[in-house]
Amino acid sequence: MPGGTASDRRTVSRRETLAAIAGIGGVALSGCVEFRSNASSGSGLSGTIDVRGSSTVFPLMRSMAEEFTADHDDVVINTTSTGTGAGFSDYFCAGTSDFNNASREIRQPEVEQCQSNDVEFLQLTLARDAITVIVNKDADFVDCLTVDELSSIWRTDGAERWSEVRSSFPDKEIARFGAADTSGTFDYFNTHVVGEDVEHTTDYQATEQDNNIRSGVEGNKYAIGYLGFSYYDPEAVKALGVDSGDGCVVPSLETASSGAYGVLSRPLYTYVAKSALKREAVREFARYALKRSTSEPLVADEVGYVPNSPELAGEEFTELNDTIWEVTV
Amino acid sequence: MATEHEQEFGAVSRVRGKVFEAVSFGSSVLGIVALAVLLVFVVVDAFGLAAADTGWILTYVAALVVPMLALWCYRLDDQWLVRRAGAALLVGAPAAFLLETALAAVGVSIPTLNWELLYLFAVVVPVTGTVLVTGRDGPVGGAANGLFGRILGGAVFAAGLVVVFEILDPQLWFLVYSLAVLPAVGCVAYARQNPTSILGRLRIPVGVLGLFAAVAIHRVFLITVPYWVFHVWALAVPVAVATAWLDDEPETDAGWMTTAGVTLLVLVVGSLAIGTQGIAASYGLLLLIGLVPAGRYAFDTAGTSPERIGLLAPLVLGIGIVIGTIVANALGIAGPDPWLDSGFLTNPPSGTASEAGFYPAIVGSVLVIAVVAVLSFAFGVGTAIFLEEYTADEGLVGSLTRLIQINIANLAAVPSVVYGLLGLALFANMLGFGLGTVVTAGLTLSLLILPITIISAQEALRAVPDDLRRGSDAMGATRWQTTRNVVVPEALPGIFTGTILALGRAIGETAPLLLIGAVTARTAAPSGVFDQVSAMPLQLFNWYGQPEPFPRGVVPAGVVTLLLVLLVMNGTAILLRNRYERSDG
Repeated sequence: MPGGTASDRRTVSRRETLAAIAGIGGVALSGCVEFRSNASSGSGLSGTIDVRGSSTVFPLMRSMAEEFTADHDDVVINTTSTGTGAGFSDYFCAGTSDFNNASREIRQPEVEQCQSNDVEFLQLTLARDAITVIVNKDADFVDCLTVDELSSIWRTDGAERWSEVRSSFPDKEIARFGAADTSGTFDYFNTHVVGEDVEHTTDYQATEQDNNIRSGVEGNKYAIGYLGFSYYDPEAVKALGVDSGDGCVVPSLETASSGAYGVLSRPLYTYVAKSALKREAVREFARYALKRSTSEPLVADEVGYVPNSPELAGEEFTELNDTIWEVTV
Repeated sequence: MATEHEQEFGAVSRVRGKVFEAVSFGSSVLGIVALAVLLVFVVVDAFGLAAADTGWILTYVAALVVPMLALWCYRLDDQWLVRRAGAALLVGAPAAFLLETALAAVGVSIPTLNWELLYLFAVVVPVTGTVLVTGRDGPVGGAANGLFGRILGGAVFAAGLVVVFEILDPQLWFLVYSLAVLPAVGCVAYARQNPTSILGRLRIPVGVLGLFAAVAIHRVFLITVPYWVFHVWALAVPVAVATAWLDDEPETDAGWMTTAGVTLLVLVVGSLAIGTQGIAASYGLLLLIGLVPAGRYAFDTAGTSPERIGLLAPLVLGIGIVIGTIVANALGIAGPDPWLDSGFLTNPPSGTASEAGFYPAIVGSVLVIAVVAVLSFAFGVGTAIFLEEYTADEGLVGSLTRLIQINIANLAAVPSVVYGLLGLALFANMLGFGLGTVVTAGLTLSLLILPITIISAQEALRAVPDDLRRGSDAMGATRWQTTRNVVVPEALPGIFTGTILALGRAIGETAPLLLIGAVTARTAAPSGVFDQVSAMPLQLFNWYGQPEPFPRGVVPAGVVTLLLVLLVMNGTAILLRNRYERSDG
């Protein structure tokens, strides 16, 4: 095609074509141009919200994010399950995330790290969880354990065989499946069940995947494990009652919310950075999360935790609004 | 003497050879069979096939598979195959039933699989595969395959375009096209007419300058172009050219012009017709383009008999589905309950398993892999060319080259977690590309597969005969000219193969993404390269940790999707490679 004999006429026509195309383009462009303004479209909210932290809180926060973004098209919420500790140290207190979910309260070293990076935060309670102790369905010798017995199973140099826990139990070795030490579930269990001054045993199958704990217990008649209530599957394993001193209480949403389930019922938090609250999308999402934390269908039926009482949510809401007022004025 | 020799040879044992043969055959088959069995279970879970009533699969085999295979086999010379296939389909069902009954009698039961699924995966799928592949040789099957191939390819191409414009701001493309692509192409066209003109050399500066200008304008101004203007101006011509180029057949200028012309016509007329209907109509139009090559093929084939019978294949498929559905409804047979449906592909992640979607992760993975493909190809091929063509074998430079060579070979063995740490430290923190952004992920994964890309590109370059280089040298070509015009074109198909394999590894990587802080669940797809990204393997890993039915329902659906995306990606790359090989040879 290129070059050749009749190229003169073709060159001219091609040039003309190019000019014509450019002309059309110019006309098409004019009238479509305006200055990019900062005003957002749609519901008025826009921006990206970054949520890190606890794998236990992750399903709840993701469901809230799902509902929130359904109403606010221009908001994107990233929810990532990193574990409570890693979320604080690698993201939140380094100033790179807006929210950090936590299945325990923030610790002193983490507070110091946050302070050294000028990250101020507010703690919000989202729900309650019941840490569920599970055994094999065929383990008919045990239905209930006291907190002290649990502690003797899970501490360093504690019971190795079931018969050491209670003499009526069979003389079989205990197979333990629990949360890895990066998880908030481990921290909570370690502090409130095993005990402040004793160490959690290292002689157990540690995993971040609650399903692996369940299937481990499912496969061994003499196994015991603990996991978040939403991962407890009554079809596959048996939940043990726990005796905190006032008799045996089986975990359920009712016993956890009434406080009868004792120390194994724990609050779930999210921490929000005060600097992030200056952004409207973050403010609205924080308010939304608190409002929805009382919702039975969302928190209990969909995710499997205990909803906040309206009183608690009201208190937290006031505190949030005070903080928002403080950072925005 | 002769008898002595016979005795000596006769004494040699063949046992070891036979044992070796049997063991190696067994081990190679074992891996494939194990993976195939796993994939069968994954597919059954992903499509919820176990939920289908007895008879559902048989109904569709009778209504759909048998007529399709009959069409493929029509006028096929290979009667042996036809008879075997028919017999297998007929006998397979009762055989599977008997097998299940027999196993149940002994007390063995295969989990999730019933006899119908056994029949489907052990008989129907292999038979169909064989007939589709072998039937290609027959006139009718060949035409049917050709038509289906083009429909499928066109659909994938169109879907790719949709994804590209979903990610890439159409406005940005509009500017880049107007300010960078068009002027650069203009320069090239002008230089072809006037070879002495300086414009030809300016094509790259003009393009780069235009690109920067486009990005700068995009940042400052909001340009709202109606969709029809966008289509006609910035989409019609490039898409028409790309469609014609990707179309398999246009050996002749006329064929090329028809495909390009019809595509152009569809886009221009369609754009004017839908006016300002918005993005959905705009995507519909893109999907329509996918049918152009198939249409042209049908038009070309319609004239020849018996090939034209093959064009009935889509009709047979459609009628089969309709009949199957009617019969299943009439008999009250419930179908499967698939996890992998259109909602799964287009929804964001959700707490409810049945509403959980993969969309942000799919887009994220594709975006990251696009970055990886560009970077690893550019750097990998560059390094390989430098090492193979430019460095000396002796002296100080030679030992330095050998040192680099050894290091590259060792880098290929470094665990991916280490690359994750490197990406976290270097790209995310030091260079400030951000935690878990598309760029950070792309750069990290590029580093990860760079050694593999380099080594395979080196192998391809080494395979180019030295005679070709010497011949080029003898004609007075510089080293650059020899490399560019002789060596690289010859080695390119091999380089492509290596890159494809490496990309397949990159798309499945999880550990480095975890370390660089990639997101688990995004509520929307990333819209730019500096957005945080979620990726398919990460999402799968997270779903596996969620309560049931995530691990048994949503995860298999995700696995099948990941494999399909990988298949499409590799298919595209192989298609490009084959085109290159053909145009070269």
